[in-house]
Parts: sequence; C-alpha cells; structure tokens
Amino acid sequence: MSVSIILVPIALAAVAAWHAAQTEEQDGHLVCHVATRMRDPQLLTAALTDTGASVETAEGEVVARWHGVDAVFRRDEQGIWSVHLTGETDEEQALDIVTAIDAAYGRQVQRAVLARLKARAPDAGLEVTSETKQGDDITLVLTVAAGA
Amino acid sequence: MGEQHIVVTITVDGSVTAETKNIHGGKCLDYIGLLEQLLEAQTTASAYTSDYKRVEDALTSPQEVRSDLHEQP
Repeated sequence: MSVSIILVPIALAAVAAWHAAQTEEQDGHLVCHVATRMRDPQLLTAALTDTGASVETAEGEVVARWHGVDAVFRRDEQGIWSVHLTGETDEEQALDIVTAIDAAYGRQVQRAVLARLKARAPDAGLEVTSETKQGDDITLVLTVAAGA
Repeated sequence: MGEQHIVVTITVDGSVTAETKNIHGGKCLDYIGLLEQLLEAQTTASAYTSDYKRVEDALTSPQEVRSDLHEQP
C-alpha cells in the first residue's frame, strides 16, 4: 500500500489545522497532513539514520529504506516537505513512522543547537560553566565573562 | 554584585528557554538579542521573572528576563 503525507510546518499548522486533520484520497492512494518541525535536509537525513533507515539523497529528494517500507521525501517550491511511503504500510503505520522521524529530528535539532551554542559562546563573552541533563532536556549555565 | 549567568535549557524537540541571573537593569534585555544571534533563533515569548522587583540600591532596578526561543524557519 502507498501513503503520501504532507509535512505541514508547525508554525503553519495552527492556520492549516483543518488540513492537519484531513486524510484524503487522491489518485487511488491516501494523502495525509501531519504537523512537523522538519525543515533541514541534513538533519532529516541524520534523523532517518537514527531510526534505522538506509538513506540516500538525490537532487531535491531524500530516500529512506527500512525493512519492508520505502519513503521518498520531497520539498516543494514553498519548502513544504511531503513523504510518499510504499510497501508494507497502512495509514496508521505511516503516521507512526512520520511521528518517530519527527521525534528523531527533534533530537537532532537539540544536538545541533547545543553544539552551536558551545562553539559560539566564547566569542560572545560567555563561558559554559556547567552542563546537566534532566530527562531529555539539557541545561547549560553560561557565565558572563568579567568585563563583557 | 555576584557572577552573572544565563541558564539555557534545550528540550528534546529543540526548543530553547533562557533565563538571566544576576544581570541587572536593562542590560538583561541585550542578552535576548545575543541569544537569538548565537542560536539563529527567534524569541517567541519573554517576561520578567519574579526577581525583577528586587532593588539593590536607589539607582538601579535589577531585572531578570526569561525568554523562550525557537529556531528560525
């Protein structure tokens, strides 16, 4: 079975909330809309790898393969991602897959933000004086350098 | 005045919350812009914490700011 999912950016999801709840049938296959934070192709590739997929990238698309399910991610002119899943999947499983990818993407964003902050803080007169993890959240204490 | 800190929490979905500590006067607001630059993010909400009413002397009113940031699209 094949399922297509439009990945609506969360920032737009409130406006497109009625779309987010819709499942339509187009040209004989299901099209769903899911609110997501996914935007960056590199982070998407890393997130897909985290979910156990083998990933290939080509011009304008990212192809992920798991056992029994293939997914092709494409971005339109407005930068909206869509994913077309084929293989041993139905609508519910497809949505579960996208939810898992979105969660993995969030963890990639966390890692990227953390690395960026640590790399740039010294030049901004800030010293990372502690880093702690509580559950899934990471907290940094940045101390303002004297004279900064 | 003790050490000045910014406590930055990054959640598992990449959202960032930042809170200044011991940064007095209007200077705390400068750190919102700095954090936006460092994180390439946009502030979605900010508010003074309950410490903003603490007054060290007649000339300065300490203000601490908590900001929530999200990455820019």
